[in-house]
Amino acid sequence: MSTAKFFSSPWRTLGFFLLILITLIWLLPFLTALLTSVRTNDDILTQGFIAIPKEWTLQNFVTAWNRGGLHKYLPNSFIITIPALFATLLLSSLSAYALARFKFPGNRLLFFLYVGGTMLPFQVLLLPVFRLTDALGLYDTHLGLILFHTAFQLGFCTFLLRNYMRTVPGEILEAARIDGCGEFRIWAQIMMPLTLPALAALATLEFTWIFNDYLWAIVLLRTDALKPVTAGLATLQGQYVTDWTVIVAGALIATVPTVLLFIFLQRYFIEGLTLGATK
Amino acid sequence: MKKTLFAVVAMAMILSLALAACGPTPTPQIIEKTVEVTKEVVVTKEVVVTKEVEVEKPVDRRVVIYNSYASDPAPRAADEALVKMFEEAHPDIEVQHSTVAHEDFKQAIRAYLTASTPPDVMTWFAGNRARFFIDKGLIMDISDVWEQEGWNEDYPAGFRALSTVNDKQYFLPTSWYWWAVYYRKDIFEQYNLQEPQTWEEFLQVCETLKANGITPLTIGTKYPWTAAAWFDYLNMRVNGPEFHINLMLGKEAYNDPRVLKVFTDYWAPLIENGYFIDDPAAYTWSEALQFMVDGSSAMYLMGDFLRDSYPADQVGKIDFFRFPVIDPAMPIGEDAPTDGFFIAAQSQHPEDAKTFLAFLGSVEAQQYNADVLGRLPTNLKVDTSKFTPVQQKGLELIKGADYVAQFYDRDTTPEMAERGMSAFSEFWANPAKIQAILEQLELERQEIFAEE
Repeated sequence: MSTAKFFSSPWRTLGFFLLILITLIWLLPFLTALLTSVRTNDDILTQGFIAIPKEWTLQNFVTAWNRGGLHKYLPNSFIITIPALFATLLLSSLSAYALARFKFPGNRLLFFLYVGGTMLPFQVLLLPVFRLTDALGLYDTHLGLILFHTAFQLGFCTFLLRNYMRTVPGEILEAARIDGCGEFRIWAQIMMPLTLPALAALATLEFTWIFNDYLWAIVLLRTDALKPVTAGLATLQGQYVTDWTVIVAGALIATVPTVLLFIFLQRYFIEGLTLGATK
Repeated sequence: MKKTLFAVVAMAMILSLALAACGPTPTPQIIEKTVEVTKEVVVTKEVVVTKEVEVEKPVDRRVVIYNSYASDPAPRAADEALVKMFEEAHPDIEVQHSTVAHEDFKQAIRAYLTASTPPDVMTWFAGNRARFFIDKGLIMDISDVWEQEGWNEDYPAGFRALSTVNDKQYFLPTSWYWWAVYYRKDIFEQYNLQEPQTWEEFLQVCETLKANGITPLTIGTKYPWTAAAWFDYLNMRVNGPEFHINLMLGKEAYNDPRVLKVFTDYWAPLIENGYFIDDPAAYTWSEALQFMVDGSSAMYLMGDFLRDSYPADQVGKIDFFRFPVIDPAMPIGEDAPTDGFFIAAQSQHPEDAKTFLAFLGSVEAQQYNADVLGRLPTNLKVDTSKFTPVQQKGLELIKGADYVAQFYDRDTTPEMAERGMSAFSEFWANPAKIQAILEQLELERQEIFAEE
C-alpha cells in the first residue's frame, strides 16, 4: 500500500496519529528511564525528576558495570536462567506428553495438581522452601535457585504444553506406534518438533520470568558473588541515599538479553499466543 | 519451516550462552586487570619485606562471612575500604563481604540468622532491635572481646548499657548520628528569622515563611518512618523522655490523654495550617528534599544523613537547630540512632569473626569512618579534635541532651513500630479521626505486648 493511499481516509489518518500518541504514552516510562540514566544525582535533585539535564553523561553505565558489579551479576543471571529454562522445558514437555496422550487412573488429578500448584501464591512457600533448601545444604548455591525455578515453573509449563499437545492429531502418533516406534522416540522425534511453536513461546516467557526473579534470589542467596542481576542491582539502594541513575542505567543494560531473545523469537511467540485461537 | 524454527531457537540459546560466557566486555576487563596488577605488586612487596613462605598462605586463607546493610554509596565505599584494611593486616583471613539493600537486609536477617550457615558478622541496630534477636538466642555473647579489647573502659557507659543483656555484652555499637531540624540559612536571613528555641518561636517562623509563599516544612512519608520522627520529638518535648520510652516499651497506653494531646494540640495544627508540603505520602524522604533544595520549602526534621544527599555545591546553605522546647519543665530527649555489629550465634568461624569484630571496634576503624563519613564514633579514644564545625555542633547537641533515644522503629518492637507508623500515616490523612486511630493502636499494643 502506498503512503498516499494509506492516508486517503481522514479516519485512517486520525487513527494513525492516535496510535502514535498511545505508543508514546506507553513508552514514556522507558523514555524517562533513558533520560535518568544519562543524568547525575545532583542534577535530579536540583531540577526534579523530569527535566532536560544540564550535563549529559554516560558515566552511569560504566559505573553500573564496574562499581555496580553488573559484570559479575549478569553472568550469574545466565548461570541460573539457562539451566533452569532447559530443565523446565524438558521435564514439562515429558509430563505434558504423558498427561496429554496416556489414559491412566489419576491423570486428571495429576493435571489439576499441576494447575492448582500454579495458583498457589508463592509467597506462602517462602518459609518452607527456605527451610528445605537449608536442610538440603543448597542454601546460598546456584543449584538451589535453579532447582527451585525448575520446580516452580513446571506447573504452568505442563499446563500449557499439555493443552497444546492435545491439539496434535492422535493418528500421527498411532501411525508411529504401529511402525514400532518407542514412546520416547515418539516424544522426541514427533511430538517435540510439532510442539516447537509452543515451546518457543514458552521459552521466551519463562526466560523473562526466571531472569527477572528478585524475591527468590534474595531469599535463597546470601553471598554477593552469587547474586543475579536483579538482586545485585538492588544492593545499590541505600537506607537514605539511593543511586537512582546508576540503578536505572544498570537495569537498562540488564534488559538487553531479554529484548534480544524476544526479537529472535517474537514471530513464534505471537504465533504461540494465538495458537488454537481459530480452532 | 520446522528446520528454520529449530535453527532460530538454537541460535537464541547459543547466543545467550555466548553472552553468559563472555561476561565482562573488553574495557572493564582491562580495568580489572590493572587493579589486579597493582594488587600483585603490593603483595610481592610485602613478601620481600617479610618472608617467602607467605606466598603460599593466601591459598588456604580462613574465611569470615560478613553481610552488611551499608548500601548507601558513601558508607558502602567506606565499608569496602575497612574490609581491605583488615585483610591487609590479617593476610591469613579472607572476608567474604556482601552488601544487601538496607530494607531487604531488615527482612532477610531472619533467614540469615536461622540458616545452618549464617553470615558470621553482620551489621545491625543497637538497642531493642538487637535485643529482639538476643532474647531468641541468635546472637553470640562477645563479653570476652569487650574484655580483651578494653572496650569496657574505652566506650561510654551509655553505649555499653545499650549492648548489655544480663551483664553480658552481645553487641558492638560503632557509629551514631543525630536528628535535628535542618533549615536553609539564606531563606532565614532573607526574612530576618532566628533559629527558634521554643515552640512559640517555631510557630512564628512557620507563619512568617508561609506568609511569604514558602512552605515551612518539607517531609516525604512514602516510607512512614519520617513521620515517626515527629512523633518521637513531639512526645518527648510534651510528655518527657521517660514517658516516651515507657510508651515504646509497651508500659504506657496509646489511648492515654497525654498521647492524644500530642496529636490534637501540636501535630494536627501544623498539618491543618498548611505548614507541611502537600501530599507528603507521594514522596520518599529524599524526593521531598528537592523542595528544600529549590527553596519552595525551608525546614526538614531529619537525621544528619541529610547532608550526604544534599547537592555538594549547595550544602553550605543549610544548618540545623535543636527541635524546639515545648515544656521547659521537661528534660530534653534527643534521637540518636546507633548502628553496630554482632556475631551470629551459629557462626561457623567464631574465632576469626571475633578478630574481625575486634578490628571493627578498634580506634583505627572508627577513626576512618569518622574522618571519611563524618559519622560520630563510639570509641572514646577516637580523636575528635579534627572534626568539622558541623560535627562539633552535632556532638554538642547530643551532649546537651538529658536522654538519648534510638528512634521510634528501634525503641519499640518491630511489630509495634510497623502498626504505629501506619497509624501516623492514617492520622496524617485524617487528623480529625485521631481518637479512633489511637484506640485501635492501643488494642494492637495490648495484643503485641501480651505475647511476650
